This record gives sequence, structure tokens and C-alpha cells, in this order.
Amino acid sequence: MSKNSLGDYLRRFSVPLMFLLICAVCAPISGLSPSYLANEIVTRMGRNAFLILSLLIPIMAGMGLNFSMTLGAMAGEIGLILVCDWQIVGIPGMVLAMIISIPISALLGLFCGKVLNMAKGREMITSYIISFFINGIYQLVVLYLMGPVIPIKHGTIKLPRGYGVRNTVSLLSMRQKLDNLIPLTIAGVKIPVATFIIVFLLCLVIIWFRKTKLGQDMRAVGQDMEVARDAGIDVERTRIISMVLSTVFAGIGMIIYLQNMGNIATYSSHSQIGMFCIAALLVGGASVDKASIGNVFLGIILFHTMFIVAPKAGTVITGDSMIGEYFRVFVSYAVITVALIMYETNKRKNKSKESQQLALSQEEEVNG
Amino acid sequence: MSEQTTTITFKDRARSIAKDFGLPRLIITGFLVLLLVVSPFVGADLPTQISNIINRFSWNGILVLAMVPMVHSGCGLNFGLPLGIISGLLGATLSIELGFTGTMSFFMAILLATPFALVFGSVYGWLLNKIKGGEMMIATYVGFSSVSLMCMMWLLLPYHSPNMVWGMAGKGLRTTISLEGYYTQALAKILQINIGNLSIPTGALIFFALLAFLMWAFLHTKTGTAMTAVGSNPEFARSAGINVNKIRLISVVMSTWLAAIGILVYEQGFGFIQLYMAPFYMALPAVSAILIGGASVNKASIMNVIIGTILFQGIVTMTPTVMNNMIHLDMSEVIRIIVSNGMILYALTRKTEGAK
Amino acid sequence: MDKSKKKVLIYRIIALVVLVLIATAMFIIGRGHTVYFDNKPLEYGGKTIDEVPYKIDVLVNGEKVASIKEGERGMVDTMGQNFNMQLLVTKEKDGKTSKIQVGLPLPYNMDGIILNLPAMLAGLPQDAYISEFIPTPSAAELEDEEVVTDETEGLMDFGE
Repeated sequence: MSKNSLGDYLRRFSVPLMFLLICAVCAPISGLSPSYLANEIVTRMGRNAFLILSLLIPIMAGMGLNFSMTLGAMAGEIGLILVCDWQIVGIPGMVLAMIISIPISALLGLFCGKVLNMAKGREMITSYIISFFINGIYQLVVLYLMGPVIPIKHGTIKLPRGYGVRNTVSLLSMRQKLDNLIPLTIAGVKIPVATFIIVFLLCLVIIWFRKTKLGQDMRAVGQDMEVARDAGIDVERTRIISMVLSTVFAGIGMIIYLQNMGNIATYSSHSQIGMFCIAALLVGGASVDKASIGNVFLGIILFHTMFIVAPKAGTVITGDSMIGEYFRVFVSYAVITVALIMYETNKRKNKSKESQQLALSQEEEVNG
Repeated sequence: MSEQTTTITFKDRARSIAKDFGLPRLIITGFLVLLLVVSPFVGADLPTQISNIINRFSWNGILVLAMVPMVHSGCGLNFGLPLGIISGLLGATLSIELGFTGTMSFFMAILLATPFALVFGSVYGWLLNKIKGGEMMIATYVGFSSVSLMCMMWLLLPYHSPNMVWGMAGKGLRTTISLEGYYTQALAKILQINIGNLSIPTGALIFFALLAFLMWAFLHTKTGTAMTAVGSNPEFARSAGINVNKIRLISVVMSTWLAAIGILVYEQGFGFIQLYMAPFYMALPAVSAILIGGASVNKASIMNVIIGTILFQGIVTMTPTVMNNMIHLDMSEVIRIIVSNGMILYALTRKTEGAK
Repeated sequence: MDKSKKKVLIYRIIALVVLVLIATAMFIIGRGHTVYFDNKPLEYGGKTIDEVPYKIDVLVNGEKVASIKEGERGMVDTMGQNFNMQLLVTKEKDGKTSKIQVGLPLPYNMDGIILNLPAMLAGLPQDAYISEFIPTPSAAELEDEEVVTDETEGLMDFGE
């Protein structure tokens, strides 16, 4: 505890360092120009930062990596589909989609928080299964209720059979409208200024939130639920609020993400979003119980550099483009696996250390 | 007076049975019964439906059975099933690569899969012993990592059999490999019974029964009872002189091996080997099947496996036909997702009795 | 305690009202339309407007969006209920160009709106030169597509 030796630092930053190494090796092999890379990374930063930031609050409340941020993503997609059908375009369309997504996200977050309160100690696997469960509900709504129950007018969105939404919904009317709101190009790199401003605002909100009474309570709950309860904090309520906030932010983040992409893959856009966001956060040096805003941005840079560079490098080395694709998917999963293992082993180590200390002090009491 | 008491006890007993059985399970059973009753009226052929269910049961039974040892030893639900499935796939592809055909290739596949299952299972078990308490999440991601690692391996490993590799490149395994001429229906066609539209894959059922019996017998040996003890109360087991880590390791290896056998049996019924991303989510149906059968996160029996597989596969096979015939609306996929994941969610939120 | 609860309730109601107001505003200012310009003769009330100029250039926000010769159609996507444009009308080939500033409200419930420019220039009433554009669904749109809800879908691609 007292000494922060070089070894400790190395262990803490082992994942980012490893990624730095992968990127350093693959980037020259891939043959991609630095300006192309810079452009891609800035774009992806704007696209993903908001989504990844939404993961921070549950980590603060000790609920681990929020695999059910997918719920917010689905709410955002529902908002966008409706707005598209109403033909509200551009930035107003995005704002309206966000306003529609907020109550849906809040409701889903509430559900998620309640379920997770019933599954204390295994929040992560439960939130992971929740995302599958709600995906079923989402499909029920989008595939069967949209059309007959929730009116959808346009043939470009609705399937010809009269119900259900098409595999892809075009967002041409709001594509990159936010990114290009304040145009700025520095040294050939296009910078989505407006998106960055919104991301910056969210960062400020998170920093401010940490200092509020609720934020302090949340950290107390995250450290030790029993102690927090003894201190008079409503643990269950605090945990639910953290899930609601995370889900709402994820919904807004998904809308920002999709306006950059320019279309919605109705049945698959959200499915992997949780996994990739979590992997990026972990690559930035976060752990299951500790994550900062710095981790988010470092994570996006390293993870997405790997993501862009790996397939190209793989093609150059093996002559098969699929190898690199599989490689980056493998690395994403491996990073999460390693992070989870490190978290659990640390937890056990601390526990045994604590019990040892307890035994020691008891012994001293007896002897003294 | 006495009459009143009996009615009360009867009521209580009925209530306790219902409670034991669990409301979701009751709903699912009711739903399946409803489907079976309705199906002849909407023009679905009942014998065909029943043989479908029996067939699907014979494909999936062993994959569900693979859940039992780890639940018993307190390792929770084996979300890392894909690891065992990968061992099975290695066995299957090696058996074909080495030139075995017909039923022989099936048994060779089992033989070749076994060492992989033992090695992978041991490493996996060793890992799970390091992280007691967080097994399920890590198991999930161990499964995912291994599947995506193998995606690269299927491309890189030096397979040459023309029936398995991409025709153009001459290397790299295909995503689906037909088992025609190899072990398709290898077990099912043994003593197969055909009465009209009803066909029963006797051999596959016997194979399942054999493994289920062996599992049952194992759970009654000294090691088996030790396993149950470790699962229900690890502290007590340790003080009774049981090597908890070793027992847990055995359970994980068993589960992994059963998953390997399970996927081979699945393939002999299905007729194809599916590689690459296919094993990714294969743990979820098996997990929800055993939970539907009445198991919980730390309690499972062979009966749970049998009931669960029948109920789960029954719903999976019946809903599409019945719904299509009834309202021309195929919502079966959505129903399957909601039911199976809802069931897992239900089990995860129960307060677990005993150990934790 | 009671007072603070009341305060919280008031804050929540205010937040809700603000959100609803923003949403309403977005409905109005964000409504997108596609405006089509016809430079064609039009029959209205028994008489025919056949005074069709040689060429009309349409400018929206100072940007040229369409240049329509006789008998042609141009289009532009717009946002909001008020539509302002400048028309550069060239009556004859190589003739003089006159500049006309036009502003008109668009009907909310129409996605596609056809403006018949010659009729508008002739000073006919609005319902004469405005009509709704009803798109004929393309073949690709009518074709039924298989919905893919495969769980393993999208495992490989992320933000390409």
C-alpha cells in the first residue's frame, strides 16, 4: 500500500502498455498514413466517447462494468426510428430523439437497477443477461408492434408486409449534422467540434456529480455496502439511480454514435456496443472497480488504433484479411477476460489479507 | 374438524409444490401443454411434432447434462461451455482429417476430443479456482475468448481434407462442414423406430441415458458426494478434510468433457459441423434449459436436465409451427429469447440457499 | 422535510415542462420537407398557364440548388415550416434575368411538396400551385426482405 514501486505501476498499466506495443508494431506494417489514422481516431473519439463515459457511474457505485448499457442504446434507436418516421430532420431530430429516449432509458434503467439489487454480488453476469432479455423485448416492439400498434408511415422504414422495421434505417437526414455543425479542420484532420463540446460537458457533469451528496453516497456504496447502510445511506435507491443515469447517458450516446454512422442496423447496432465500449475502457487502464475520465480517452485512442490497424497488418502478414478481423475480436474479448480475472484475484487477495490482519490483531489482543 | 385440517394440509402441500416448482416453470409447462393441445386443431401433425421434440432432445440432452457437475461443486452455471464445445470441434475435425468415415469417425472424434477436453478443462478449472465467487462472468468471457481465438486457428491450422477446407484456397476450414459420409445420424440410426410420422432415434437416446446414468452413479460415489458437499458448504467440506480445489477441478474437467461429447452428439443429429462464431452463444440455451427444468444456481439433478431439455426444446420446436399455422405470424424467435433469458435472470436473482 | 419534497416536486415538474416545450419546438422547427419545383404548364380552374419561362434557377440561402429548364423538375430538402428562396427567372434564351424573392409557409403534413413555379409567378392562389408529391415506391422498397435477428450478427463489425 505505502510504496508505489515501479512494479506496481507496470502492473497497473500493463494493459495499456501491451496495447501500445501492439499498435506500435502493427501501425507501420499496415501501411496506413498517419493523417488517415489521425482522422479516423478523432472521428471515433467523437463517436464513442459519450457512450463510454456512461459506463463510469455504475463503476463508481461498485456495480462493475455495466453490460446492460445496451438497454440505453436500444432506447436511443427507438427514438431515432420514430423521429425518422415523423420526418424531423437534422439537429432538431436528434434532440427530439434524445428526449424520446430519456423516459424509455429511465424506465429500463429502473428495471435493471431493481433486478441487480436482487442479484448483489453477481451484478455483471446479471446485467449481461438483462441485455439479452431486453433485446427480446426490443425485437418484440420493433419487429411486431411497430406498424400496427406504434404507427410507422413510411415504406422506407416499415417492411412491406405491414409490420416491423427494416434491417437498416437510413439516417441520411441527420448524418453527421452534429459533427459538422461547427466545421473545423486542423492539418487535414476534421474535428467534430460540436460533438466534442457535448462530450466535454458530460465530463464536467461527471466531475461535478462526484462532488455532490449523491455522488459521495454512491462512492460510499461502492466501497462497502454494509458500512454505507450503517451510515444511513439508502443503498438500494443509490444503486438504482446509478443505473438509471448510466442508461440515460448511454441512450444519448447511442444517438450521437448513430448520427456519425449515418444509418441504424436495427437488429444488431446495439448488440455489441456494450462489449466494445467496455473493452475500450479497460484498454485505457480502468479496472472493474476504478475508472476515470482519462481512462476513457486513452482507451479510445489505443483500442481504436488497434481496431483500425490490426486487419490491415494481418492482411499484410498472412495474406488473409479475416485473420486480422478475428484477431481484433479476440483481443477485445481477451482484454475483458484478463481485466475480470485481475479484479477477482485482487479481491480475493485483499480479503485474505484482511482476515490475516484480523487474526493477527486478535492474537495480539490475547497475548497482550 | 379433522376434515378441515386435511384440507389445509392438502392446500399447503399443493402450495409448497407449486412454490418448489416455481411460477415461471409452471407458466412454461402450461404453455407447452397448451401448444400440444392446440397443435392438432391448427393443422400441425402431432406425431411429427413429438418426434421433432424427441429428436431435438437427443441432440441437446448431453450439452445440458454438462451443466450438472459444475453446479454441484458450487462453480455455478457453466457459461464457459464453448470451451468444451471447441474441444469437441477439434476432435470432430481431426477425426475427418485423419480419414475416418462412417460411424467409426464418431467414436474416433470422441476419442480425439478427450485429450483436448482434459487439457482445456484443467486449465479452465485451475483458473476458476483462482477466482472463486466470480466464476460465471469469467466463464462467459473465457468461452468468448476461446471461440474468437479458435476463429483464427480454424484458418491457420494445417487442415487439408478437401471435404473441410475452402475449395478455392485449399486451406482454412469452411464455416459449415457436411457430415454426409461421416457420422451424420451415427447414433440416431441405431435401432431407430419408425411408426408412421413418428420416428425415435433410439441409439441417441440410449447414449444419453448411459451418460446420464453414469453421472447419477458418479454423484453417489465418494468423490460425487464430496462434490455435492463442496457445493453446498465449502467451509464444512474443507474442515471434513476434502480437497476443495481438487474436487472443483474435477467438476470443471467433467463439464468440459461432457460439452465436447455433447456437441458431437448434436452434430450427428444436425448433420453439420459449425465452426467459427457458431459456438459463441451455445451456452445460453443449455443454461436456460437446465434452469427451466428446475435447477438453481447451486442445485441440479439429472431429472432437471431431462425435464428442462424437453420443455425448452418443446417450446423451441412447437412455437414456430403452431404460431405460423394459427396467426401466420412467426414470433417464435422473440418468444425463445424472452423465455430463455428471462429464466436465467429469474435464477440469478433468487437468493441461493446454502453456501452463498 | 415536507418543504424540500415540495421543492423537488416543483423542480421535476419544471424539468418535465421544459423537456416537453423543447420537444414541441423540435417538432415545428425540425420538420423536414422535400420541395420539388416544376417548370411546367398547369391547368387551373379551366384556364391553362402556359407562359413557361426558358429557365429558372433556384437559390436557397444564397446557394444554387436547382436549375430548371422548361418542362423540367428540380428539388431541395428543407427543414422547418417557412421556406425562403430566390428565383432567377430567364424568360427567353439569352434573355434578361429577373430576380424574385419568394417566401411561403409549407403545409406540415406533406413530406413532399410540388411547387408549380409558372403558376406561382402568375399570381395564382396557393392551393393552385402547391400539391403533394406522392412517391411511387421503388421496386427495392416493395421487395420483402428477410429480417436478420441472428444473435451472432454484428459480432465482427464495429464502427466501420
